[in-house]
Amino acid sequence: MEEKESSGRYICVNCGYVYDPAQGDPLNAIAPGTSFDDLPAEWVCPMCYAPCSQFDPLD
Amino acid sequence: MKPSASSLYQAVELQQEIPPLLIGERANSNGSKRFRELLLEDDYQSCLKIALDQEAKGAHVIDLCTAYAGRDELKDLTTLVRMCAQSLKAPLMIDSTTPECIEACLKIYPGRAVINSVNLEDGGVNIRRVCKAAKRYGAAVVALAIDEKGMAMTADEKFGIAKAIHDIAVDECGLRPSDLLFDCLTFTVGSGDESLREAAIETINGIRRIKKELPGCMTVLGVSNISFGLTPRARRVLNSVFLHEAVSAGLDAAIVDAAKILPLARIPEEDREVCLDLLFNRDTAQEKNPLMRFIDYFTDKAESSDDESEESAHTPEEQLFKQLVDGDKEGLEDLLSILRERLKPLAIINQVLVPAMRHVGELFGKGEILLPFVLQSAEVMKESVTALEPFMERTDGASATKVLLATVQGDVHDIGKNLVDIILSNNGYKVFNIGIKVTAETVIEKAREHDVDVIGLSGLLVKSAIVMQESMPQYREAGLDVPILLGGAALTPKFVAESCVPDYTGPVVYCGDAFAGLKAVREHEDSTLVSTVYSERSAVQTMKPGVKDTAIDRTHPVPSAPFVGRRYVEDIDPEQLFPYVNIEALFRGRWGYRRGKMGAAEYRELITTTVQPLYERLLHRTLEEGLIQPKVAYGYFPCHAEDTTVRVEVDGVRYDFAFPRQAEPPYLCIADYFKTEQEGGDIAGFFVVTIGDRIGRETAQLYEQNAYHDYLMLHGFSVEMTDALAEYWHAVMRQELGIGAEELPTQGLISQSYQGSRYGFGYPACPDLDVHQPLFAFLRPEAIGVSLTENMQMVPEQTTSAIVAHHPQAKYFAV
Ligand code: B12
Repeated sequence: MEEKESSGRYICVNCGYVYDPAQGDPLNAIAPGTSFDDLPAEWVCPMCYAPCSQFDPLD
Repeated sequence: MKPSASSLYQAVELQQEIPPLLIGERANSNGSKRFRELLLEDDYQSCLKIALDQEAKGAHVIDLCTAYAGRDELKDLTTLVRMCAQSLKAPLMIDSTTPECIEACLKIYPGRAVINSVNLEDGGVNIRRVCKAAKRYGAAVVALAIDEKGMAMTADEKFGIAKAIHDIAVDECGLRPSDLLFDCLTFTVGSGDESLREAAIETINGIRRIKKELPGCMTVLGVSNISFGLTPRARRVLNSVFLHEAVSAGLDAAIVDAAKILPLARIPEEDREVCLDLLFNRDTAQEKNPLMRFIDYFTDKAESSDDESEESAHTPEEQLFKQLVDGDKEGLEDLLSILRERLKPLAIINQVLVPAMRHVGELFGKGEILLPFVLQSAEVMKESVTALEPFMERTDGASATKVLLATVQGDVHDIGKNLVDIILSNNGYKVFNIGIKVTAETVIEKAREHDVDVIGLSGLLVKSAIVMQESMPQYREAGLDVPILLGGAALTPKFVAESCVPDYTGPVVYCGDAFAGLKAVREHEDSTLVSTVYSERSAVQTMKPGVKDTAIDRTHPVPSAPFVGRRYVEDIDPEQLFPYVNIEALFRGRWGYRRGKMGAAEYRELITTTVQPLYERLLHRTLEEGLIQPKVAYGYFPCHAEDTTVRVEVDGVRYDFAFPRQAEPPYLCIADYFKTEQEGGDIAGFFVVTIGDRIGRETAQLYEQNAYHDYLMLHGFSVEMTDALAEYWHAVMRQELGIGAEELPTQGLISQSYQGSRYGFGYPACPDLDVHQPLFAFLRPEAIGVSLTENMQMVPEQTTSAIVAHHPQAKYFAV
């Protein structure tokens, strides 16, 4: 229960790319500070183009 | 030399790469009632079978004990040792306290046995005799923490005895430290005896000290004593958690019933905590002591409905349902024969097994269980049905819905449709899986022959999607109107709706995965199945990630190629690829071990206890068995860009690679990363790499054997190995071009943190696969055993190709 306050990072299960809210995603013009949940629905993995549903919470 | 034991057939390392070494405990007249009864009937053959069964269940070494009051131990033990030596691949642990018996057995045993055991109970008489025999015949020795005062209780006493034994065995009898396995012994924490509340802690500390202060020596433990006196279900959980803790403390080997050890990942976190509290005697704020909490907890659990219980509190129906959901094959045959006395085979299938599989599918759909576990459940289904088949009437099941499955012409991709086969056939449907590279004509013929209700087609690459599209009118003209399900990675609902649906009479349905196929078949049965529809408006237009700067530096110097032309490399050590494997993609993507609804800690546990060991076993096999044979065809060629085309010059012949340009800013095109003729031309790298077809054959075999889980694992492994080879070879080429000097290792992750890029043909920056034709014309990868099918697929399947650009701005993008 306690673990909640994590870094909010998510990992692409198809290629291993890590979305880090602190960095945002420059290749998709996503500003730093954008949480994974706030990514637009049309966002895809900048490395392999997998959709949001293909991401797992990382830590 | 690593310490090992051996039989006539094989050597087994005592320190397994993934500890512990499992020692089977059932062939023991003291520990197993069944074994004892067989022995009393002089039924040696059945005794041997108990030994063999354990080997099949994963025991690395088999303990053999025949001591029983009133019987001739020497005769029993030597007889069985002889029989085991012939039949058992696993090395033997000769379990006796009588030096005569041990000596007699060592004399006849053709490998390196382990002796179980010596101690200091008699002040040091027998131990000297047995150790000398061990030295003479070359055996390892288990030593128990027992002296004249009895079994050691505290860590200090355990260590003290171990040290004393060590001195006798090593200094006096000439054994090596690595010949010794110390058993710290353990007492139960389940009896309520106040003096034993720290029993687990003492044992674990004893193991730690031995490992630290007697270097080279090993440790062994009979784990199940820890839980003596508790209920069977609770014991199983506690034993498993305790074993895990002991291994973390340095335990090398465990004497266990291998089949009764639960993988930690299968034990809910809360259960584990309750076990750990008991083992480590942790008092929490609550007023109850850890044992009371433990007992209460597991009593409550037993009452909750869908919980596991070892007793037959459940009906056999419930038991079977549960075993299927858990993917547990243990005792399946027995269970089925009990059930057959009450139900007809078909009723067992339809009333128990099929609903259980349906439940598994629902759990998967809700993200409660992962794909690998679904496959394990399907294995239970398959095994049950196979066991029931001999008792079924010929007409049984004749009314099941029939599905034809095929991979389309020019396509060798097998696994997509095979997973669909696994899911459909194990949900009670009759599947005719007619293989790969199947022409439309054959599909039509077989559909008629088997009078199927549904047709399913599969393919890997876009070219196969085109084949599907083009065959639709053919199916219509042949008069077919049964639903056609289409699946494969390169298909989209849009393509199916717009390009396939209009040309066929019956429903044409896009299926994203095997469960979508299952759903479609069910809808067909309910007469609710309709063709896929696609509406531009409701669909989400996905982003096109990529660098947004348009100005490509035209002055970047062209590196000098180490050679010009093609070369073949066939002697690549597979181990070179290991650092390049994308483990995240393998575990989560290819294997389906996603985190899903698990907590971070639980997931980590699953990875360390189940997934990582699986991966390491495969790496091991790769080296031991030559599973993969990496080969490369590659080269550097003078070229220049002309608008969107890269013109490559080979032996005076020109080969054109036409690349599309993005239709919107920044209008990227691969050709822009190469210099034009006016700019002085450029150099392009190309490669075709393969890991060979051996692993593909191994993979197919697992499917044949209905080892569905292992099938998916080996396939996923082969796929990521292929990618690792491409990644590795790209790195080699950057080195050769002199542009790879300052790179950091990538650990297989796609980060593109190096100079330049490799673009695989067919990927989003260059979707056209037809360029495989010019590529094959001048690179001629046939020399490394790679050929091209009519729809541009490379065979063997585990092959990948690319153009290598050195320009620093060259990165991935999508047109
Ligand atoms: C693994 C993989 C590979 C492996 C080999 C393929 C293999 N499976 O053995 C390797 C690394 C070697 C590889 C190479 C290539 N690949 Co590749 N690869 C993939 C990847 C990542 C997964 C494919 C896979 O095996 N999935 C696992 C299986 C079980 O899934 P599946 O076959 O899709 O089946 C499931 C569903 O589709 C569905 N399904 C399938 N059939 C059917 C049928 C019915 C009736 C139903 C109901 C359902 C159904 O159910 C199945 C189970 O759930 C996909 C992308 C992706 N994420 O899907 C790209 C992908 C298929 N590859 C692609 C490409 C381009 C290539 C290459 C051409 C690249 C290159 N130039 O080298 C080569 C070609 C290889 C060759 N032999 O010719 C492209 C294809 C696009 C295109 N233009 O055709 C893809 C789509 C990636 C992409 N996003 O661009 N690839």
